[in-house]
Amino acid sequence: MDGDFEPKILGIFCNWCSYAGADMAGTSRMQYPPNVRIVRVLCSGRVDPQFVLKAFELGADGVLVAGCHPGDCHYVKGNYRAERRIALLKEMIKQLGIEPERLMLKWISASEGAELVKTTEEFLTVIKELGPSPLRKKS
Amino acid sequence: MPVKVMFVQLASCWGCHQSLLDLHETLADVLPQLEIVFWHTVVDYKLHDVEKLPDGSVDVGFTEGFCRTEEDLHLLKLARQKCKLLVSYGTCSTYGSIPSLLNLYPIEEALSRKFKEAESVVEGRIPDKHVPKMLEHVKPNREYVKYDLFLPGCPPEPPLIAGVVTSLLKGETPKLKERTLCDECPRVKSDVIVLKKVKRDFEGIPEPEKCLLEQGYICMGPATREGCGAVCTSAGVPCKGCMGPGPNVMDQGAKMLSALASIVDYESVSPEDLVKAVKDVVGTFSRFTLPSSIIPKAVFKKK
Repeated sequence: MDGDFEPKILGIFCNWCSYAGADMAGTSRMQYPPNVRIVRVLCSGRVDPQFVLKAFELGADGVLVAGCHPGDCHYVKGNYRAERRIALLKEMIKQLGIEPERLMLKWISASEGAELVKTTEEFLTVIKELGPSPLRKKS
Repeated sequence: MPVKVMFVQLASCWGCHQSLLDLHETLADVLPQLEIVFWHTVVDYKLHDVEKLPDGSVDVGFTEGFCRTEEDLHLLKLARQKCKLLVSYGTCSTYGSIPSLLNLYPIEEALSRKFKEAESVVEGRIPDKHVPKMLEHVKPNREYVKYDLFLPGCPPEPPLIAGVVTSLLKGETPKLKERTLCDECPRVKSDVIVLKKVKRDFEGIPEPEKCLLEQGYICMGPATREGCGAVCTSAGVPCKGCMGPGPNVMDQGAKMLSALASIVDYESVSPEDLVKAVKDVVGTFSRFTLPSSIIPKAVFKKK
């Protein structure tokens, strides 16, 4: 199974920066791994920790939360909140038996299409090394 | 005609039944209306007496505690079989509560720690004769049997119990209050909270009137159901969340984690500081609801 393991990664991207960054990558015809399924939210501060936990419950191998760079948040400080939530959440999932590396927070601005490609590729490598999530149902 | 009741004690500390006795004079009005068919620490009926009862012949059953051994599980299933209405009494029974934090460790490791490695033990061995088998995990009782009513609290406060018991005697369905603890907490709260420092409970002495969360203590109020009468916060102790999650919340721990992260001042508290200040994330935020939260539930489902 390890040889053909294709991780499922949920991307939760903020509308103003990271989602636009993904758009940028698309319009610039850059390719990034199809393992990432992107959900758009208005702000990374909107990402309720329950969303992330729910994603893991449903079998996601990794969750990538992306928002605006510090100081750039459309809603002033949503990304600072996200940063603190993800820090605590990493600690929480670690205690619950999920590797904290499966959760990643990244700042990607609207012009950083290339950065998005790089991030997703790197994250995919990390997840592939970790193997399937302990909560993933055997298919 | 008296109402037939049974009180079942699973693995627990007996605190919930203690709280029932704290009803004092109210008990004098209630007791004559009850016929206790099983309450193994108070009246002298044995398990086989319950097994002999016809199914569904007991009007109300209260279960306190969680299932740690196979015997507990047997008792719980028996209670469901014999009772028309089954009440989950206390937080252990409803959400799993503090003892379920042991789920974070494999049971073998826990048994070995307790019976072999503890400092006071000499030539320890894990008991295996004449004791019921331990279950691998603590699950909330609702994962095993269907309940008709949940009465959380560690322990449920006497007025809450009195309300439920009297409405049951009247033949009504009791309804729990559905807001958060902050709504009934008498402390003065301001509209915007910005925490410069997150404190642990033992640091300093809290001001008597001001909201504890505003003072920097991790108070679980915003993520906890009301109904306890804010006994802890009124006495200057931050809420630990024993009433369980408020309505429409899947994971009390995640919700409180989120709330705390959004009120800290991002200039003075870095993410690393915050993790350090909380110290034990699961033990702080999911102290009473670990096996009812999202990830542990998914782990049970997979097994």
